Amino acid sequence: MAVSTRRLQKELTDIKRDGTPVGIELLSADDFATWYLSVEVLGNTVYEGEKFALKFRFDSQYPISAPAVQFVVDGQYQAPIHPHVYSNGHICASILSTEWSPVLSVVSVCVTIQSMLASCKKKERPPDNDRYVSRAPENPKKTQWDFHDDDV
Amino acid sequence: MGNSASSGRGHHEETVDFGYLTPQGIYTGPRDWNQAIVTQLIVERRLAPFYRPLEDYEESWDDEQILAARKEPPEVDGGEPSRAESASSSLTRGHAKRPSAVKEPGRNPEAAIYRGAIECPICFLYYPPNINRSRCCDQAICTECFVQIKRADPTTTHLVSEPAACPYCVQENFGVVYTPPPWRAGLGSEGATPPSWPDSPKATSDAGTNPSNAMKRRRKSFGHNDPEVVSVDHIHPDWEAKLAAVRAAVQRRANRRIIMRQVGDRLIPVGVTSGRVHALPTEEGGSEAPEGNGDRGSRRARRRQQNQELSQFLGNMGLGGQDLEELMVMEAMRLSLLEHEEQQRRQQEEEAKKQREQAAAAAAEGNGARSSDSPAASSESGPTTEPAPSESSESTAQPAHDAASTPPSRTSLSSHVPHSSSPSLLSPIPSGPSADHSPGRRSGRSSPSSHSDVEAAVQTTAPTASAVTSRSSEREASDQLAETTLTSAATTEGDSGPPTLPPLLTGSIPTMAESFEPQATDQTSTRPSLADPPSFASSASSSSYNVLPSSPESSVSSKPLLDVVIPSTSAVEEDPSTPAAA
Repeated sequence: MAVSTRRLQKELTDIKRDGTPVGIELLSADDFATWYLSVEVLGNTVYEGEKFALKFRFDSQYPISAPAVQFVVDGQYQAPIHPHVYSNGHICASILSTEWSPVLSVVSVCVTIQSMLASCKKKERPPDNDRYVSRAPENPKKTQWDFHDDDV
Repeated sequence: MGNSASSGRGHHEETVDFGYLTPQGIYTGPRDWNQAIVTQLIVERRLAPFYRPLEDYEESWDDEQILAARKEPPEVDGGEPSRAESASSSLTRGHAKRPSAVKEPGRNPEAAIYRGAIECPICFLYYPPNINRSRCCDQAICTECFVQIKRADPTTTHLVSEPAACPYCVQENFGVVYTPPPWRAGLGSEGATPPSWPDSPKATSDAGTNPSNAMKRRRKSFGHNDPEVVSVDHIHPDWEAKLAAVRAAVQRRANRRIIMRQVGDRLIPVGVTSGRVHALPTEEGGSEAPEGNGDRGSRRARRRQQNQELSQFLGNMGLGGQDLEELMVMEAMRLSLLEHEEQQRRQQEEEAKKQREQAAAAAAEGNGARSSDSPAASSESGPTTEPAPSESSESTAQPAHDAASTPPSRTSLSSHVPHSSSPSLLSPIPSGPSADHSPGRRSGRSSPSSHSDVEAAVQTTAPTASAVTSRSSEREASDQLAETTLTSAATTEGDSGPPTLPPLLTGSIPTMAESFEPQATDQTSTRPSLADPPSFASSASSSSYNVLPSSPESSVSSKPLLDVVIPSTSAVEEDPSTPAAA
């Protein structure tokens, strides 16, 4: 059994036993390759009333290697309009690439992204959104991110 | 060996404090840490051994339950166990004895070690309480997870290698500290306190929790240079070599230059410098110099293995030593050169034909009596068309002779000279990558090496010039002179040292590779017109004019292709600094 399976089994057990933090729900975890969770930003924020879905993809080296995390963009869900979120759902967040730590988990990533949204003051796309989206790889882990600002 | 209860494990029985020297199969990826170093650290009790983890753990469990919860051992050590095992056996020879105390009836020490088990926060499995602790924030981490943590590999766009950060507190230079249990078993346990689990279960649980209690008391954090600390870099000592290799490969790409030759009013690319930076000089040193004596053999073999690993690493990044892109450029150039020669021959034939017709017309006009136009035609076409076939046939054959006969030539080198200089050789690409690491070859790069050779030839004026002039008497067309220079350059390479010289010859357009690529695939009869892209032609020509007037190569390359060059060759001989490019 790959380490990712074992880890995810335990994470799933914890989620089912302890539940998820407020605003975060497990949508589906049918296997140990792809999970979906929803994220809402509660309280008085620019995303009030919106609900987003995060797609997690795990390779067999999870948690040593980071999961591929992106917002779902389909008929039901849209990517939040945020300076670090591209319209194809890709997220520019250091913890998803260079600053990933194997101690992080699916739930902790959701919480981080939730707080990233919560601290946003102005809804806008990244300045290079069109350029990036037009040639972005399918898997955001294949992008080499350049982290510009830590304010948001 | 003597390990009482681990019955199923027929092979690789060396243990330390009931843990193992090799991973227990939690991770399935490549083992890119240095297993020999890890083994040594485990034997020295500076790193926790690889314990078989428990899938789960409850304080109330008895021995049977604990043993049942152990993760299945890896079926086959699979992957690359040979290296690990040989490393461990060589390291630990001499003290592979177990104290007989372990075999005492009663308590099962293999279960007792798990009392007070600790969950590793990364793999979520349970380990004996003598687990590694992060040096900075005192968090538990099992050895299996620890060896997975390393610096991020450098990439072509990110040419630095930051030290791995602690997964818990993100402090740089992650390292762990290990406090071994107060007893010893397995390797390195002679004369040490034998495991002390006397008969009573109570004492057992005390002994089991002891180490963890001892460690919980530790609150100070260690600096990453403290001798107790085992750092990520410590068990991945190759990170610097990796970084250097990637940097060198990137540098080499950036240094690559196209070598141009002027033919008449056109610039023909004749080669590409490899731009080698020689970050891995051992690769070439091995087969070249007579330094290899018996005592250095093993070290060299190890270095070679390391180089292989590195080049595999580079290959995975698309930076392999044998550069496919380079080869494609070469092939495109070769084709364009052939095409150019072909075109020139056609031109001459056409001219000859025209002249023949003119002569015929003149003859017909002149007296009308002589109907045969053949004498005029033969006298005209003779000298003009003769060099053309000689280019294609002789230039392939003759330089090879030269290589063997030129005085300074090294026999080991001359064998691959014909490859590199022969324009009719059609197979540089297939012969490439596989040959790259054959130890017998000097560099193993049949075609790109020749072009760094050209570069070297330009720098080492004296030997090249003499080689050129020695050849000049039998030469008809200056094209052959160029070929000769290629050849002699290769033969003098040994004298001129590694071709790490600055690329003087060349137009500095590294991106030219793209402009050639289509021609490599599209090698139909359409004219390659390599000199047409104005940007590269102009910059390349200016640089070759400005920089090269003193080199014999420039005198060659600036000559019109079909001139007879005897006079100017003597100029080269007598005064190499003559700006023959004028």
